[in-house]
Amino acid sequence: MVEEHSTATQSIQDNVLQAREAAPLHSDGKMVRLLDHFKREWQLYVMLAPTIIWFLVFLYKPMYGLQIAFKDYSIFRGVAGSPWVGWEHFETLFSNDQFLRAIGNTIKISALNLIFGFPAPIILALMFNEILNARFKKTAQTIVYLPHFISSVIIAGIVITAFAPTGGIVNVILGWFGIDSIYFLTRPEWFRPIFVGTGIWQEAGFGSIVFLAAIAGVNPSLYESAVVDGANRWQMMWKITIPSIMPTILIMLIIRIGNIMEVSFELVILLYQPATYSTADVVNTWVYRQGLQSGQYDLAAAAGLFNAVVAFVLVMTANTLSRRYSRTSLW
Amino acid sequence: MAGVSLSNIIKRYGAVQVVHGINLEVAEKEFVVLVGPSGCGKSTTLRMIAGLEEISEGDLLIDERRMNRVAPKDRDVAMVFQNYALYPHLNVADNMAFGLRIRRMPKDQIATTISETAAILGLTDYLERRPADLSGGQRQRVAMGRAIVRHPKVFLFDEPLSNLDAKLRTQMRAEIKRLHNRLGVTSVYVTHDQVEAMTLADRIVVMNDGRIEQVGTPMELFNNPVNTFVAGFLGSPPMNQMKGQLTETGARIGSAEIKISGAMNGDAGRDVIIGIRPEHVTLEPGAQTSVLPIELDLVEPLGSEALLHARFGDDNVMFKTETHGDLSHLSGVAEVHIPASRVKIFDAETGNALSLGG
Amino acid sequence: MMKWNLYSRGDKFFAIVVSVLIGMFTVATLYPFIYIAAVSFSSGFAAQAGKVVLTPIDATVEAYGYILVDPQFWISYRNTFIYTIGGTVMSLAFIIPGAYALSRPQLKGRRFFNLFIAFTMWFNAGLIPFFLNMRDLGLLDSMFGIILAFAVNAFNIILLRNFFEAIPQSFEEAARMDGANDFQVLWKVYMPLSKPAIATITLFCIVSRWNGFFWAMVLLQSEDKIPLQVFLRHTISNLSDDDEFAIVQTAAGFSAETVTAAIIVCSIIPVLIVYPFIQKYFEKGILLGGVKE
Repeated sequence: MVEEHSTATQSIQDNVLQAREAAPLHSDGKMVRLLDHFKREWQLYVMLAPTIIWFLVFLYKPMYGLQIAFKDYSIFRGVAGSPWVGWEHFETLFSNDQFLRAIGNTIKISALNLIFGFPAPIILALMFNEILNARFKKTAQTIVYLPHFISSVIIAGIVITAFAPTGGIVNVILGWFGIDSIYFLTRPEWFRPIFVGTGIWQEAGFGSIVFLAAIAGVNPSLYESAVVDGANRWQMMWKITIPSIMPTILIMLIIRIGNIMEVSFELVILLYQPATYSTADVVNTWVYRQGLQSGQYDLAAAAGLFNAVVAFVLVMTANTLSRRYSRTSLW
Repeated sequence: MAGVSLSNIIKRYGAVQVVHGINLEVAEKEFVVLVGPSGCGKSTTLRMIAGLEEISEGDLLIDERRMNRVAPKDRDVAMVFQNYALYPHLNVADNMAFGLRIRRMPKDQIATTISETAAILGLTDYLERRPADLSGGQRQRVAMGRAIVRHPKVFLFDEPLSNLDAKLRTQMRAEIKRLHNRLGVTSVYVTHDQVEAMTLADRIVVMNDGRIEQVGTPMELFNNPVNTFVAGFLGSPPMNQMKGQLTETGARIGSAEIKISGAMNGDAGRDVIIGIRPEHVTLEPGAQTSVLPIELDLVEPLGSEALLHARFGDDNVMFKTETHGDLSHLSGVAEVHIPASRVKIFDAETGNALSLGG
Repeated sequence: MMKWNLYSRGDKFFAIVVSVLIGMFTVATLYPFIYIAAVSFSSGFAAQAGKVVLTPIDATVEAYGYILVDPQFWISYRNTFIYTIGGTVMSLAFIIPGAYALSRPQLKGRRFFNLFIAFTMWFNAGLIPFFLNMRDLGLLDSMFGIILAFAVNAFNIILLRNFFEAIPQSFEEAARMDGANDFQVLWKVYMPLSKPAIATITLFCIVSRWNGFFWAMVLLQSEDKIPLQVFLRHTISNLSDDDEFAIVQTAAGFSAETVTAAIIVCSIIPVLIVYPFIQKYFEKGILLGGVKE
């Protein structure tokens, strides 16, 4: 007993075939659709190709060249033609005091960077968060971010000038207190403090951006309810801000640990000298001297490979940890 | 004739099939609305028509031509997106002209087309503005303008009103309808809102779980839903569905005997679902009505009408009745009356409508 | 300053202490620059005697005179501009289309390509194989070699790819339906929509090119190809090694210290000029590229 309806669409109804009988004309095969895809999207692959080729030529081809770490490399025979020597270079490396010292220095400098350099941007960010005067805050931020954009050559130039034995401002100030002039950059015991201190001076400000962003992401009503509950700023910092940015702190810490083998060797090269090698020489500077300055490519490549493998393992471990302990992974 | 024809359209993502063989003919100038809950495959179907999703199996014909392997730009269809996808860096005129310029339409022709379309849509004063400086309704109009200027064979709408507030939605709904009456372009419109479907469509396609449940005019679907899904989906508030049995003379829900029109051909005792639309009950007995005793729970006045929330046995039921400007007579309601001709019977297992009489 | 009035006395004290500490750190950051500027304008004698603390002593521009007449200074300055502009353009030419392609869900092998690129962030062959590769490619002592070999890095690609991915897919689809091909979608829609991200990457490229030192030192031999940073390094180490220079030139009104300071000032000035313009971008940029949710 279907009820009759005379609607305006009745005429359209008449024209329309109701649900057609099932009978597909034909379906396109997988190959046809793949061909269609490339016909339609070839431009995407054209866009991607230069980048992929670049990576192959400049980053993956050197990985192929890493085999010289296991070869008696000679320039004339080339990478492929040089004879294999197995683990010889690694045996040489691990009986080389200078190389072992470089590993030790790398870890020691990284450890100092971690202990003093890691908390610095966090403390800075927490302090910026307490500044009410927007103008003062903005100006201070602008200034403390600046050193990040200065080249290491200039940074080194500033350090050299400031720590100069005669006329350098550091020794001038020491002189006010009756302390004799120290030629800082030739003294092994001073290299690491100066290096780590310079790093903090250059990067603490810029590093605070990440933590400031994390702080900005804290729900403001948390602070409002804390105010209502009678908390003071110091308590809010410890009970709200720091716990809220803990995930960010953890992730940044994990990144740091993953990068322990990566001391910014450019600055080391610019600041160290033979007199301070005992505390300043890191793996990459050693590789630079052995390989690029003394031409022992295969041995230096072996040292570089060792460094890269350790770094890779550290980064992978760090990412696994980060994935496990926070919802974010680094990539 | 710029119709759209889908036959046995299937969509798979890897091993997962999300659209299971859609068959649908959209006639020229027809306005067809695909409606269904989210995830029912309606948007996927629309995007397959647009060419934004590959068709895994089946045939898509637009204007009699097979389109499966044709690029979206060559299908001569235009689409209005849910988020409008207006280019924020271009002003209104440039947004509308974008497609025309890409297709290398002569400049003066573009200018004429834009100004004509802007006039139709009431956007003439806003041509220099960026999308960010427009209201929601204006953005919606620009999005339609961008589709209109192309003079496509088919308009596709993907939930175009869902980003608007309720008031604007009603207003824009009417504008879309007027525009369709004026331009007469074949349109396929996707929404999850049954009110939009009812008001806009020449025909509604109710989809669920990657399948078409029913195709028909809004009133056909409203009056004769083929199953409980369609019955529950269209109409607001939805149809009351109560478990019961057929009897020799009608149907029984718990203790209540319900008269139905049409004979049951000896199906007495069969488990069924009895459907009654909230607006079909009366408070006074009529010629062919049965009594349903209820416990009144709550009265929600809507103005000229009121919603009665009530309980009948274990079922929550809802009825709609006129107030005549006064609620006092509703507070003591203890029974409603159901006209026999309005009662729908569905199979308890399959949910399919049972044809009565015959 | 509504908030200030609501602070308790303890809070006010705390805020003042923090402000003072921030102020001290800011001054400590700024001071070395001021000190260097002061040295550069002081006489060589004053600098060596340690008289310079905050302002120039026996103000003179002799040190600048010494630098600015050196043709090598101008050559390396010009080279740095070439490396910076050429390198940045080259980088963008690779990164923008590459990142766009990688951001498209319809790209076949997308996961593989992304891993292919990200892998280089975690593992690299190191200095020696890279150097030997450059030699094999014939790119030693080549300006083009420098520009090309440091054009791309995984971080910048991933940063921009993430940004492209965050743009709703419907923009591409709308442009597609309007008839645009991939190049047009990128050029006319995605690039204008990605101005902040592209600005950030441009900035990163400019900064790293301007400051690039190590590989320029290793790969370039010809004096007429070296950038400013290498020239700066040569000058600084030559001056401080050369005792005679110190004795002879101090009489002329400049010294190794003042000349070094003057070169530093000269090479910082462009950075200081551009810095305020770039500042609004890098805060966003560093977060864009950082941690991917």
